[in-house]
Order: sequence, then structure tokens, then C-alpha cells
Amino acid sequence: MYRRNLKFSIFKYSILAVVLVFVLFPLYYMVATSFRSQSSMYMNPSFLPVDLQLKNYKSALASKDFIKSLINSLTVAGVATTVAVVFSVMAAYALTILRFKGRDTLGRVIVVAFLTPGALLFIPLAAITANIGMSNSLRGLILVYLSFTVPLGTYLLIGFFKNLVGELEEAARIDGATRLQALWYILLPLIAPGLVSVAILTFTAAWNELLYSLVINISPGVRTLPVAILNLSVADETPLTLIMAYSTIAAAPVMLLYFVGQKFIVEGLQTGAVKG
Amino acid sequence: MSLATKTEERSAPGKLAWLFKGDNLFGYLMMAPAIGVLFMFFAYPLFYEVYSSFTDRTVGHAGKFIGLKNYIFLLEDPTYIKAAINTLVYVSCVQIGKFILGLGIALLLQQKLFGRGLWRALVLVPYAMPGFVAYMVWKLIYNPDVGALNIFLNQVGLIDTHIAFLSDGHYAMPAVVIATIWRGFPFWTIMFLAALQAVPKELYEAAAIDGGNAWHRFRHISLPGIRPVILIVFMLSTVSTINSFEAVWLTTGGGPADATLILPVFAYRGLVQFQIGQSAAAALSLMPVILAFVILILRKLKKD
Repeated sequence: MYRRNLKFSIFKYSILAVVLVFVLFPLYYMVATSFRSQSSMYMNPSFLPVDLQLKNYKSALASKDFIKSLINSLTVAGVATTVAVVFSVMAAYALTILRFKGRDTLGRVIVVAFLTPGALLFIPLAAITANIGMSNSLRGLILVYLSFTVPLGTYLLIGFFKNLVGELEEAARIDGATRLQALWYILLPLIAPGLVSVAILTFTAAWNELLYSLVINISPGVRTLPVAILNLSVADETPLTLIMAYSTIAAAPVMLLYFVGQKFIVEGLQTGAVKG
Repeated sequence: MSLATKTEERSAPGKLAWLFKGDNLFGYLMMAPAIGVLFMFFAYPLFYEVYSSFTDRTVGHAGKFIGLKNYIFLLEDPTYIKAAINTLVYVSCVQIGKFILGLGIALLLQQKLFGRGLWRALVLVPYAMPGFVAYMVWKLIYNPDVGALNIFLNQVGLIDTHIAFLSDGHYAMPAVVIATIWRGFPFWTIMFLAALQAVPKELYEAAAIDGGNAWHRFRHISLPGIRPVILIVFMLSTVSTINSFEAVWLTTGGGPADATLILPVFAYRGLVQFQIGQSAAAALSLMPVILAFVILILRKLKKD
């Protein structure tokens, strides 16, 4: 019996090691490559960080376009998240606590909007933003991003609100303007973890978005990070190691957010998909 | 109650009286911002797209109504047919891979392991990495000259040449599929881990008394226990995988020779060539499949 357990343990940990290499290698490789020079990549092909230098990071931080795109991404994702959290709290509150005509239909529309992939809507959204003169502006991109941050936030928060069954009934019994107070003073503190996970998930969704920004914001001044990184490759010139440095910087904020808020994210995903 | 107030009540709000009943007005006020967003950026674009797909609209040109011509044109376009088949192959392979890897790793991390909490956190890495970053890194891994995969395969002696994984028709699709699986499986693992934990321990204890082996426990307790979660995760993830524009666009751009061209990339190419009507039809051709999944998900959520 003991020997069998030992064998099983060796088996388990070997599988775990293989899994971890597969899972972590791309992250390691990105960071390791970001510290290398383009020429050494070709002269000394290796996936080890054979020459450690900061040249790529220096040129990233010295590039006005890169800094601009970093600020653009922060602005777009930050505003889209803030607005989405406010709108979503209001909508999710109404959809779970209030009883009004057409509530179930609206609830279903939210889920449908949440599920509708961007690949389905990017064409009309690009055309519409152009028609209202909002292409190539951060405002236009923020508005378009609300199309997925608001349904995502509402859908997740409905799950969190539903978990508060008892408090909900109590809050529902209060009348009139005091209901807003009940929402503010009683319910919001209770779903605070939900708000954190919604904020993190919507922020990362906006930060990571590529397709909309590719069809709406292409002028140099209004590019977000993904478009800026994509534009580093010009014709045959692909500055591989520089791209990895840009990518590392672009990935750092959301990856940190994920690990700091891991508990909230896991809860958010599970609430959304399982209980929602 | 006096007569005066009675008539007032009856006549004043008239048809809008229902609005002031119960929570109606308050409800609509709270929903107003979300409804506004949904109308402007969901309902209206959808309508605009459906309408455009029946016109020969191009960028800067409103176009005229041409009926089903765009759709007929697509069906006669071998590139479109190829993209549709590629989408089916791509999504199926990715989903099978995510299921196997997602469930396998969940079962592994369910075991008693030293440092389990840390491993569970680390498995989230691909999901935490922005998609556009992840696919740029995979593109570098597959690079024929300096990429890690070629270096590794040469070092262990499996190959003695350099393979251009992303520009070789044989390897491009599997290469993109693997990158997509890598990025997407942690969602499945997280969901499966939670579901596995919710399976009552007594069931396993009872099985142990009956002398069931590991496979038996998995087949008859774990698997049925997490079945509802498998279904919902499968459906949610399929809808988003159909949307995998960036996985393909950032690695192969749809090439070589359209070997990895999927419908979102096809539609994007059309838009870049200013064909709004045609690419709208191409994007909308995804609609029946997505709609079917959406209806299934709505039903499932309603049951819960």
C-alpha cells in the first residue's frame, strides 16, 4: 500500500511539473526575451536570457507613442469600468429586487448582450462611430466599450445580488427614496466583493480588447496598447525583443490585478457562470 | 374620499397609470442607463448590420438594397466556405482540448499536493495574461529562426531543420489551436475545481466502502456531479471561442493560403476593404450558431 502511494505521488508530481512548464513557459519566455537584444536573438538562439540588458525597456519608456498608448489604455479601460460599475449596480439592483413590467425580458436581453461576441458587432459599431464623428477618439472607444462592459457587469452583479436573499427581501420592503439609501448603506457594502470582481473583470476586458480598437482607433495619437504593439512591426522589420518588452509592460498591470484580486475574480467567474 | 379626487385619479395619468404602480417607474429609472447603452450599442448596431447585409453598402457609400445577393455571393465564394469550415474545425479542436486539459488539471489540483494553493494560482497565468500579449508570445515561440519551439526540438534531436509552424499549411492550424487552448483552459479548470469541491464527500466515502476504484469514482460520482457545470462552461466558452479574432489575426493573420482563416478574420478583411454590406453578411452568418447557444444558455440559467 505504501509503495503504491509513493508511486502515485511520483506520478502526480511529474504530471504537475509538466503542466507547470506548459502553463508558465510563455510568461517566462516573454520576460526573458524582453531583456535580450534583437541581434543576439539571431546570433545566439536560445530561450535562456543569455544577455541581460535594459535597452528595450529604455526605448519603450523613451517612446512618446508608447507612453501615449499606455495612457490611452488606462483612460479608456478606467472610464469604461467606472461607468460600467455604476450602470451595472443600478441595473442589477432593479433586475433582482424591483418588480416592474418587462423585468424578465430586460434580464434576458442583458444575458444575450453579454453573450454576443464582438466579432458579430464590430462592423456596425465601426460604421456607427464613424457616422457620428467619433472614430479615432478616446470618447468613441469608451462608448463602444460600454457595449460589453455594462452587460458583463450587470450579468455578474445579478449573481451577487441574488446571493443576498434575506437582505434583498428586507430592502425590497422599504419604500420610496429610502430604497436608494438601503441600496447605498445596506446592499452595496454586502456586495463589495462583487463590485471588486466586476471592476477587475471589466477593466481587464477593456484593457485586453483588440478588435474594436483596431477598427475604431487607428490614428497614432489615440491608439491603445494592443494596436500600438501591433504597429511595431513594419513590413519585414519585426523588432521581436522590443515587442516582448512592450508586451511585458502591457501585461504587468492586469496580471498584477489578477493575482492581488485572485479570490474576487474566481468568485466573480463562478457566480456568473454557475449561479447567475 | 370626495368625488373630486376620484375623478382626478381616473383622468389624470390615463394610459400611463401603470407606470406609477408598484416599482415600475423606479425600475425603469434604474434601468435607464443600461437600456440606453443596450439600445445604442447593441440593438441599433444589430439592426444596422442586418439592414446593411441586404445592401451593397461600402465605407463612405450608403449603397442600395440588393436583397440576398451578399449571402448568395458568400455561398459561391470558396474562400468563405473555407473560412466556415476552418471555423468549425478550429472551434471543435480548441473546445475538445480545453475540456481535456481543463478537467485533467482540475482533477490533478483536486488531489492532496504540497503547495496546492500556489499551483492553483499559477494555473491562472494564461488567463490573466492579456490575449493580445499571449498570442504575440506564441508567435515568437513558433518563430522558425529564433523561436523557442524550434530551438527545443532541435536540441532534443527531434528535428534537424527549422519548421515555420505558422506559415506551413500543415502546422499552422494545430499551432493556433494549441495557443488558443493554452490561453483559454484555466477558465474551465477554475469552474471544474469549484464544481468538484461541491460534490458531497459522503458519496466518495460510500464508494470507498463499496470498493470502487479511482476510475469508478470519477465515472460515477465526479463526472455526474459536475455535469451541469461542464454544460454551461462548454456553452459559454464556445460562444467566446467563435469570437477568437485575435488568436488568429495576431499569429497567422488567417494564412498561410487561408489555412487558418476563420469567419471573424474573414469579416475583418472585408471591412478593411471597405465592404460593409458583404462583411456584415459574413459576420451575421455566425448568428444562427451563436443564437442556438444563447438560447440553450438562457434555458439552462432559467432552470437554475
